[in-house]
Amino acid sequence: MAEVGDAARARALGRLERFPVRRIVLIALSAGVIGAVAYGSIKTLTLPAGEAYSASAWRDFIVLGIAQGAVYALIALGYTLVYGILRMINFAHGEVFMAGAFGSYFFADAWKQSGFMDDQPWLSIGLLVVLAMAVAVTVAVLLERIAYRPLRGAPRLVPLITAIGASLFLQNTFRGLFGSQTRGYPKPTGLEGTWTILGIPIQKVQVLVLVVAAVALVALTLFVARTKTGKSMRAAAEDAEIASLMGINVDRVIVTTFVIGGMLAGIAGVLFALTFGNISYFMGFAPGITAFTAAVLGGIGSISGAAIGGFTIGILQSVGPALLLTGINVPSPFQLKDVVTFLILILVLLFRPGGILGTGEAEKV
Amino acid sequence: MTKRRWLALVALFGALTLVTAACADDEGGGGETGSTGTAPTGAAGCEADEFGCVEIGSGEPITIGTLLAISGDVAFLGLDSQYGVELAVDYLDGAFDGTPGQIAGHDVNLVNEDDGCSAEGGQAGGTKLAADTQMVAVIGSSCTSAALGVADQIMADQGILLVSPSNTNPNLTAEGVTTGFYARTAHNDKIQGAIVADFAIQELGAQTAATINDESPYADALAAVFRAGFESQGGTITTFEAIQSTDTDFKPLLTSIAEQSPDVLYFPDFNPACALIAKQAADIPGLEDTALIGSDGCADPSYTETAGAAAEGSYISQPDTSAFTQGEFYQSEFLPAYEDLVGDTPTAAFHAHSFDAMNIVADAIEAVAIDNGDGSISIPRTALKDALLATSGYEGITGTVTCDLLGDCATEVTIGLYQVPDVPFDDPQAKPVFSETKTLADVPA
Amino acid sequence: MGGPLRQGMKAGAIGGSVLVYLAMVGMIAKFDELVLIGTQVTLGLVLLAIPPLAAALAASRPRVVGGRVQRLGPVEGLVAGVAAGALTGVVIAAWLVVVDRIGIDRVRSVFVAVSPALVDVLTFGKGIAAGAAILVAAGAALGAIGGVWRSLRFGLRRPFAIGVGVVLLLAMLQRIVPTILDGLNIERDWLYSKVTRGLTWLGAAIVLVVATAVAAFWLDRRERASAAPAGAGRADTRSIARAIGLVAIVIAAVVLPRLAGSIVSEILGTVGVYVLLALGLNIVTGYAGMLHLGFSAFFLIGAYASALLTGANLVTAFGLVPPRYSADLNFYVGLLIVIVIGAVVGALLAAPVLRLRGDYLAIVTLAFAQIAVILATSNWLQPITGGPQGLRDVTNASLFGLSFRQPQNFYYLVLFFCAIAVYVSWRLAWSRTGRAWNAMREDEQVADAMGVSTSRYKLLGFAIGGAIGAVGGALFSVKVGTVQPGSFEILVSITVLAVVILGGLGSVPGVVVGALVLLGLPGLLSQLEEYRLLIYGGALVAIMILRPQGLIPNVRRSRELQEEERTQDAWQEIFAQKEQAAAERADAETTAATVEEGS
Repeated sequence: MAEVGDAARARALGRLERFPVRRIVLIALSAGVIGAVAYGSIKTLTLPAGEAYSASAWRDFIVLGIAQGAVYALIALGYTLVYGILRMINFAHGEVFMAGAFGSYFFADAWKQSGFMDDQPWLSIGLLVVLAMAVAVTVAVLLERIAYRPLRGAPRLVPLITAIGASLFLQNTFRGLFGSQTRGYPKPTGLEGTWTILGIPIQKVQVLVLVVAAVALVALTLFVARTKTGKSMRAAAEDAEIASLMGINVDRVIVTTFVIGGMLAGIAGVLFALTFGNISYFMGFAPGITAFTAAVLGGIGSISGAAIGGFTIGILQSVGPALLLTGINVPSPFQLKDVVTFLILILVLLFRPGGILGTGEAEKV
Repeated sequence: MTKRRWLALVALFGALTLVTAACADDEGGGGETGSTGTAPTGAAGCEADEFGCVEIGSGEPITIGTLLAISGDVAFLGLDSQYGVELAVDYLDGAFDGTPGQIAGHDVNLVNEDDGCSAEGGQAGGTKLAADTQMVAVIGSSCTSAALGVADQIMADQGILLVSPSNTNPNLTAEGVTTGFYARTAHNDKIQGAIVADFAIQELGAQTAATINDESPYADALAAVFRAGFESQGGTITTFEAIQSTDTDFKPLLTSIAEQSPDVLYFPDFNPACALIAKQAADIPGLEDTALIGSDGCADPSYTETAGAAAEGSYISQPDTSAFTQGEFYQSEFLPAYEDLVGDTPTAAFHAHSFDAMNIVADAIEAVAIDNGDGSISIPRTALKDALLATSGYEGITGTVTCDLLGDCATEVTIGLYQVPDVPFDDPQAKPVFSETKTLADVPA
Repeated sequence: MGGPLRQGMKAGAIGGSVLVYLAMVGMIAKFDELVLIGTQVTLGLVLLAIPPLAAALAASRPRVVGGRVQRLGPVEGLVAGVAAGALTGVVIAAWLVVVDRIGIDRVRSVFVAVSPALVDVLTFGKGIAAGAAILVAAGAALGAIGGVWRSLRFGLRRPFAIGVGVVLLLAMLQRIVPTILDGLNIERDWLYSKVTRGLTWLGAAIVLVVATAVAAFWLDRRERASAAPAGAGRADTRSIARAIGLVAIVIAAVVLPRLAGSIVSEILGTVGVYVLLALGLNIVTGYAGMLHLGFSAFFLIGAYASALLTGANLVTAFGLVPPRYSADLNFYVGLLIVIVIGAVVGALLAAPVLRLRGDYLAIVTLAFAQIAVILATSNWLQPITGGPQGLRDVTNASLFGLSFRQPQNFYYLVLFFCAIAVYVSWRLAWSRTGRAWNAMREDEQVADAMGVSTSRYKLLGFAIGGAIGAVGGALFSVKVGTVQPGSFEILVSITVLAVVILGGLGSVPGVVVGALVLLGLPGLLSQLEEYRLLIYGGALVAIMILRPQGLIPNVRRSRELQEEERTQDAWQEIFAQKEQAAAERADAETTAATVEEGS
């Protein structure tokens, strides 16, 4: 008697477990999100003339988004390269970016005051980028050597926690060394103002950001595709064990990866500082998470994915609050721009963890 | 461990808790060394006083506390106020000679705590100070978030007088909200917001305005008061926006604001957000003709440093104490003494307010202290509070200090609007382009 | 002598860099404010002494060479130690000289912590030249001690170290111990100086001797007990001893606030809330193995929910208004509702992300926490949550007429809930759920294949964690009486994580110790408070590298965490042996060649 009851109960439970709760939740969620996005956008775009945004405002948002996206793309590359080889999220990468900006700051300040920056804008920016790269690379290599290398084989939880700790440590080291106040980052006077390109006014700084980012991306892609080191990197990313059996010095490849990531972060640091005009010890946190979102969005592990993800996130952050929230009368929509970013992150991880360029399948645990 | 043992442990624990609770003092007591009860010596004034008296024995010091933001990113604000208090203690003997003076024949023991510019910080620091049953009064806090509902309540529960040199949020002295044991020598932002609105309408001829406030109670209140004042004089608020004080990118926000082309953009925030808004606004085409106005949260050197050329022509409102700081006492005695003590010129404006606060507290103590004849004194707490709130016509560095029953001691406040580069935090001799004096009676409740 | 000398130099270089770092970051100058013993020994001085000592100890540690453990003899140890210590001193002295040459003001314009006060500390107030000399000499002396430490007679080493530790701990606890002694009416001026608040030399000496003796005695007993055969009789005495110990701890925990005063009770209240949160995170991350960085969100939800349910006021520029939705429930009724809310939200958060692997799960929880804070601060939800100014006048709660706004009473409230959480943890660990979590942690796919419903247990883990986090938030709202979004930043999540990691993943006593160390100490010492986050970051990295199982490990977890490490170490040793062998072979060949040539 009891057995029959048990069997019946087991069957019922089994049916319950196979009941696609997860599928239903996901479908409901996606319907809700698409619905909300559509609704908000339509309401904003159909606002009466006095309240609606003008075409020039949208244009400004988009240009701004692209410029910011370029910076995010550069930082995202660092995340994606490290993830490709080590399969770990380098939480402290945002701090590498911050270190680069800080490293160049003192020289920038001195050169602005002495007039060197205004006399020789391109030379000074070039030197600042080099300096930023040097500092960022140093921090990145130290990170790898001290915090990550000893934990190569550890369970996945461990390096992640270490990365969080390293991020905290670096932030507060810079705070202790240089003080907690935000500092204004100078700009050469030659870089103030806008250029009109194809009828669109774009700030000179933004043009610089786009050009530099584009050059860096192209250089990186060529490097990874053509050079021997690049090929080693790709091999190690595929399968580190086999790569080492084939004679590739995986340790050196890893260091190179961190170096390249650091260089890109350093460049991003200077560009960010020039764009927003300030640096502080906590400036790495928010761009770090946003850039990581970009990397995930584009497809973590993929270089072009990081680039696409970066630009997409930049535009979404810039346009999103205005587009989605103004119409439905949410007060102070720009306060919620990070909410937009994080929602995108959550949605991507839910529906397409491989990202835009990924395979569409979750990497199994 | 077996279940039985566990249950036994829990039972033991529960019993112990109940026993200790039963033996405990109830609400208001449970302090470190005895209760704040009646005084063995002293007049009937102590027994009648709700919170009793502080007994200062012969030769013992009077304990005064400070609860200011002395660490972290706003340390420049709190430390500056703390120096003001220290200078006041020095000046008790009538001269800035480096030797502290006395109140009612007793030395002053200053205990400094940190308000952390946050609710938890206010609670932690406030608890530390309030635990000392000898604490007579506290000068603090620096930040409203530490005082509102936190430190002011902790102090009031023990009957300790709390006088702030820099809290400006209207709610701290609002009817029904204030604790009764709170006072401030800083201005009430109801006045500042109203004066800024006057400036915008009358001086700048503005008809539309937008505001940006951050998450602090200070900015929130000030922006709201400005909006109310602006609208009551016929202006229109196009947008009111909010940001995080740690944000660095305001371009989309500013672009959105620029759409409505407001005449005035008021951002009563703290640095660096303040400076960054000014800096980035220069890059937005639609805001070229918009007047930028910040308030005393922006008023420190990092504003002009960080914003650079973009800050030129923007306005900053802050207390206009030039009538007194240009005066003899401040220039020839106070400032040099400050520089001697600190080694630098003042980093904030509120050292003057804390100097005055300490002085009116000292005066109130002198007024109510009961001399027991043997060198000891008794200070009744409620009488002290009453005496402080009755302060009238005291000539301080910040002006004539007269307290009202709700705790506002800066009842007549002069706010000046300064235009960069002529600003007091960069040039102590700066002159405002607009200055107005209001009392609390002039502003809408 | 090449080997030990080289080790010493290497360790000394690292030690010197660490010391320079500590100086430049400002820790030494700041810590110098706290007087520990007498008038001269400050925390800054202790901090200054640690790197040379540590370098010497590291330089003289036994090595694994050629598969054998090689201990350094006293002379070699001395050489290594002195080299390490002296080099540390030389590095910092050189730095000092360089700074002096460049000019302190110029250095200070970039590195803000390099102040005249710092130079004073480093030179012991005697000027650059003398100071540099003292640094090198002191470094060498400390290095000598560290170098020969291991060669000393085994018996007294550890008790003495423990004794020194006890002295330093008592000195750092100068805010509470004297108050407790006062409360018990014990004379304490011989121990704590009224002037400096630190220990007196006499007191320090007495404590050192007593602590060393007790430690020696206790260690000796333990050694003899473990050497003797285990018998039934011994087990009984051991468990009686443990029972007595537990009862003593319970009594101490209950009585402490009465003795120690409201300052300490207030700190302990904060510690208690974090212990509660950490116990919740311990269940999610320690037992169920899911890295949950979103705990601050549940903390927030619990606090706001409790405040709104029991009644609070919004702060606007024009006075106080009630929030749009609020109720006037009894605190305990509200608490039950808060628990349900926390569990439901926890499960809802987990449901979509069940299939994600560890890193992604962590990021999603992090994102969720950020969203929660931003929404709570936003203007949009201001009518409900009060925006940036938050809610105030949260209705007080009480039990048997004891108001919980009083620090001592609050402490009991939070202690009670911690006890419940401990009980829940304990039951879970030994239950079917706990075993399922163990299985999932070790290998999720295998567990799935064996029929463990991973989804269900993950949901359960998150739900329980969420509920506990929400309770913590409710208690916090009662404690402070004001709910401001600034208190719920992501930092709370990271702090709770640090507490759990430091204490030991999956270990309940570890969590308590972790909270006491990471929150109690900075609460008592403002010098530590200033560098709290730096210490958290450094501690997290150090723990993960050196001792991932934490201070008080959970045995099972520590095996898991160390497993792959052990394998790695084994490989390293084998490689090291191979290198050694290769080097020896090469040496032999060159010797042979020289012999051949010579003959």
